[in-house]
Amino acid sequence: MEIHCRNLSYTYPGGTDPVFHGLTWSLTGPGFFSFFGFSGVGKSTLARLICKDIKPESGQLTMKGVSRVLYAHNAERLPGWGSVGDHLRGVTGRGREPLLKDLIETCRIGSCMEKGFNGLSMGQKNRVNITRYLVQNFDLLILDEVLANVDEPARNRILLSLKSWFPDKTFVYISHNALEVARFSRSVFVLPQGTDQGVDFVREISGLDQTRQRGAPPELLQQKVYSILKAAGSVLPES
Amino acid sequence: MNTVVRLVQFAAIYFVVLVLLLGVKWLWGLSDYLVPSLSDIMKIAVSEGPNDFLAALNTLMVAIMGHGLAVVLATLVGLVGRSTSIAGNITRTAAYNLQAYPIVAVAPIIFLFLGDGLSSRLLIASMICYFPLLLSFIGVFSQPVDEVEHFYRSTGRLNWFLELRIRTFENMDKLITVVVGSGTTAMVGTIVAEFLAATNGIGYVIRKALYQNDLATILLALFFIGFLSSIYLSLLEYAGARVRKAANQ
Repeated sequence: MEIHCRNLSYTYPGGTDPVFHGLTWSLTGPGFFSFFGFSGVGKSTLARLICKDIKPESGQLTMKGVSRVLYAHNAERLPGWGSVGDHLRGVTGRGREPLLKDLIETCRIGSCMEKGFNGLSMGQKNRVNITRYLVQNFDLLILDEVLANVDEPARNRILLSLKSWFPDKTFVYISHNALEVARFSRSVFVLPQGTDQGVDFVREISGLDQTRQRGAPPELLQQKVYSILKAAGSVLPES
Repeated sequence: MNTVVRLVQFAAIYFVVLVLLLGVKWLWGLSDYLVPSLSDIMKIAVSEGPNDFLAALNTLMVAIMGHGLAVVLATLVGLVGRSTSIAGNITRTAAYNLQAYPIVAVAPIIFLFLGDGLSSRLLIASMICYFPLLLSFIGVFSQPVDEVEHFYRSTGRLNWFLELRIRTFENMDKLITVVVGSGTTAMVGTIVAEFLAATNGIGYVIRKALYQNDLATILLALFFIGFLSSIYLSLLEYAGARVRKAANQ
């Protein structure tokens, strides 16, 4: 599975400054990857370009070995009618019921199944939303801050589970948590703070690609986090 | 309970206005010919009350039918108008332009073609409340609810029915408010139609009373109109609350 962007430019309709200007970047899957960068650098915009939700102004975006891209984001809601269980069962394809059952257990949403979506906490809503995406057929799943309201142990458990359950799929995880992306990603694609001309490159930093709760030594993790933050522009250059 | 509160509120306002009218009469020494005395109003209420009540009931029935017709029509045309097809674009453009035209001005033509019977009153009542309903319906049906629709769209599950269901559900309060609010417009439309040319209904009673300078009958008619409108609106609100409750279950 490959994604290639060449000289990609994009400006939001009505905007003056481009989000991207001549961006060239590529990704080769499968695996768990992340986009990291501060608010407004274009992580979600790049995700929306990849899933063809929006079209680039110029440049090329090509994909190989990808027939289905899904993009899940934090603001999504389930319809207000019916219970969460009804909705989840309704969108689970044939033969995926056991997977749904495992996901309900891993995401610990069993207690939500009889409730309406509006009656859930923010964290529960996030977990229900990611569950319904994971029971779909996909080649690439972009997860845009979908676990933003979930507590850290649950987040770690879910990320480790999806890495072990879907080894042949590609995930792009968008997060503001440098530690998390450093721990779990094969590669972290850091979008630096943009200028008036927009972002034109993406820095790739290898992650620890952790598959177990206890992994790399803390020093190595610290080093990765530092590299990611530095690439994003939050660490002042050494004098 | 809501109906009783609404009726009490209406009755209170009605009698305050009546007292003010009689106060003006007393203050300026107006004749009984211009403003009838309380006893004259009571006499008319006793002698004409039952007939006028039936006339107001007749008007209300036509208004309800016209209102229902307008809701059904607005839903159907709204479904066409929500689409991005040529038919949808034409429907939206026509709706936005036609709603600016005062429908009541077309009423004489309707009477010319359909006569002064039920069909004319029904058509005018429904036309008068139809356009505000249609614009709201088109607005609701064509406005995407991205936070809910995104998943179904990206997984290829979003058909027209699901899309409509999501948009209706998300805008339930707005739709209910518009439908309840247009109930009064339907009543207005029916009375206007009866003023113009009909031979039935409370509008016709008021028109006759106007020609005879019979303010007592007009005051009585206004009481029945307010009384029945209050009942209808509170029933609509009750139905709206039930729909809202059912939708949230």
